[in-house]
Amino acid sequence: MYAPLLANRYLTSRIIPFIAVAAVALCVALVIIVVSVMTGFLDMVRNSGRTLIGDVVVNYPISGIPYYEELIADIEALPEAAAASPIVETLGLLRMPYGTIERTGAGAAQSGGQEVVRGRIEFVEVWGIDPASLDRVAGYYERLYWTTPSPEAAAKMAEDDPRLDPFYHRDEEGRALRSRRGADGIVLGIEVSEFNHRTKDGSYRTAGRRIDRQDREYFMGNRSLTLTLLPISSSAKLGEEQAREFDVVNEFQSGVYQIDSQRILAPISAVQDILQLGEAELSDPRQRDEFGRPKVIGTYPARATTIVVRAADGVSADRLRDAVELAYQRFAARVAADPTRTLIPPDTASVETWEGRLRNLIGPVEKERELMRTLFSIVYLVCAALVLAIFWAIVQEKTRDIGILRAVGASRTGVLWIFLRYGVLIGVVGSALGVLLAWGVVARINDIHDFLGTPATPAVQAIAWVATAAAAALSIRGMLRNSALHTVFWLFAAIGLGVLATLLLFHKGIVVWDPSIYYFTRIPSEVDRFTALTTALGGVVFSVIGAAIPAARAADTDPVQSLRYE
Amino acid sequence: MTSDALQHPPTHAEILRAEGVRKTYRLGRVEVPVLRGATVSVREGEWLAIVGSSGSGKSTLLHLLGGLDKADADSGPILFAGEDLRRFGAARENRYRNRDVGFVFQFYHLLPELTVLENAMLPSLVGLSRLAWLSGSRGELRDRAAELLATCGLGHRLKHRPAELSGGERQRVAIARALINRPRVLLADEPTGNLDARTGHGILDLLAERHAAGLTLVMVTHDASVAARAQREVRITDGQVGA
Repeated sequence: MYAPLLANRYLTSRIIPFIAVAAVALCVALVIIVVSVMTGFLDMVRNSGRTLIGDVVVNYPISGIPYYEELIADIEALPEAAAASPIVETLGLLRMPYGTIERTGAGAAQSGGQEVVRGRIEFVEVWGIDPASLDRVAGYYERLYWTTPSPEAAAKMAEDDPRLDPFYHRDEEGRALRSRRGADGIVLGIEVSEFNHRTKDGSYRTAGRRIDRQDREYFMGNRSLTLTLLPISSSAKLGEEQAREFDVVNEFQSGVYQIDSQRILAPISAVQDILQLGEAELSDPRQRDEFGRPKVIGTYPARATTIVVRAADGVSADRLRDAVELAYQRFAARVAADPTRTLIPPDTASVETWEGRLRNLIGPVEKERELMRTLFSIVYLVCAALVLAIFWAIVQEKTRDIGILRAVGASRTGVLWIFLRYGVLIGVVGSALGVLLAWGVVARINDIHDFLGTPATPAVQAIAWVATAAAAALSIRGMLRNSALHTVFWLFAAIGLGVLATLLLFHKGIVVWDPSIYYFTRIPSEVDRFTALTTALGGVVFSVIGAAIPAARAADTDPVQSLRYE
Repeated sequence: MTSDALQHPPTHAEILRAEGVRKTYRLGRVEVPVLRGATVSVREGEWLAIVGSSGSGKSTLLHLLGGLDKADADSGPILFAGEDLRRFGAARENRYRNRDVGFVFQFYHLLPELTVLENAMLPSLVGLSRLAWLSGSRGELRDRAAELLATCGLGHRLKHRPAELSGGERQRVAIARALINRPRVLLADEPTGNLDARTGHGILDLLAERHAAGLTLVMVTHDASVAARAQREVRITDGQVGA
């Protein structure tokens, strides 16, 4: 019954166990913080690619899939699928409201000549969408940028955030893809327009090149733009280009720069119309109706190039893909067998999961994750070695005590038990503190980052200089009293504080995570639970191993040899 | 004086015997024979002094008698009350160190984190089962240790740490620790070797008291005046014991 007494005394009567607890806590916290933030970052990159495409994508480009409403109904009837939505994908040219300015009239501007903007042409990916079903599949409404913020969101916004002004609220227009005057609307990726400027907090201001302040004039929601599309026939012939004017009704933010800078959304019916993929009457020129026009002999069905599908709860993307693939084959066979159909869908269409579709984006992220895991295995091992070394030193110092205990009749297991308790207690307390510290840092990482991004106030700078002076004074006092320890300790403290105070003097705010560069507005702030658990367990295990091995070695030695240990 | 030391009334029978004991130390590749067939016999109730010059092997002999070190494979036996120490298993060996003999070292070897009282209690705590601990034996042990320390002149120092004590006081704590489990033999290795003459005499007086109460004492010393306090003296020279 001496083991608990001694383990407790070893823990409480000296400073070294506290250093060991601090070392374990810092090692555990280091690993958890960095892995959590890095994993969170990679998850954000990976999942942002998923935006607006659901879990599984059925694709047949250019000529599209006819009778797609039937296919959607078939897919939605699958127990694996929750919702499906049609899309018509194509490429187009968008004339922007800025670009080269042409001056007309004699003597140009001086003599009152006119300035005409020759709008810049942007090459864009056009998605014709059905907003309501796309919202069910991929949360379209949430991606709209110019919407009325909730009171909580509004409270967090910067004072000059235009979204606080009801003028910019275009909720209904964005959801319906129709402008206030009842015309077809388009929704641009937020980075398509030059007028949108991303700020340090990740929000946007609308401002022109000539002015750098927020201005309503540059809000894209006020504009009508010309979209030019090129119909391509199923026989790969280019039709005549079709230009149509659309009102910009909102802008969307997916979280992926490539998408936000290139994609625009328009009503599916309008895009089908321009591309000649809409429903049309099929007539026979050889037969005439009562008015002498070619006789209508049927209907040519509308087509969609893409169907995006969301999985039911708990269904994996792979399982859904297999189910959708079968559903497509059944659908194609059924339509082909029906003699009344005027257009037969292709036998096979590409059915991919979102990961498959975005493999070019996700591949490098996954490689990065592997690299990070490898690097952090090394960091983990370094931390483990540190904990082992600290315990080894502590127990080695106790070799003589082990000799004494063995000399008064303590068993090997009894001696071992003391140090196992010691290691377990330090490991558990250190790991628990490490997890708490990591949780505190990760949960508040954005506040810490904001704090670092703010220049130090004069009060903070003054405190730093006063602390430096105090440490220097204490060092001189130590010198006068002939205390080497006090002199050296306070000298190093004074140097450290002096460096800190000087840095604060020049510190104008560090922004490591600049949302205007990184595209994510917030640093990931979720603790990776698996990492936290394994790291905490590792902290305990390595503490115990570090304590147990030298203790076992000392317990195995004859007491006399342990007693001679200096 | 308490009745502690009268636990084993002396029968004057042989209690401890080393017969042709050999011990060789290895210093790198060099073998250094320390004991070359040493023989010594201790009778119950006797105070024996083993004397010899530095490096003669007297401390090594004492360590072997106390089961703190192992003799060479070709060594003769060490017998405690007729039992051969070489045949002891781990549990019996622990019990031998814990209950049958008590050991006092030249350098006290107290645990710095424990108080005087806890240091003195240590061997009894080592030998105490969890059941006995829970049934309240701890209080009884504490009382016994306090009483023993009081007889060693340390009644006022129970809560102190070893670092707060003088050399003589530390050695008294070490003696109390060696006696707490009422051993049959007390083995003392230069118990006054680290103390001034006056303090050393105080320690010897304390040992003499315990001996008078019936305790068997084996003491190693290089100091003739210290050895003179014993009843019998054997000299060890070149690893062998003479008369």
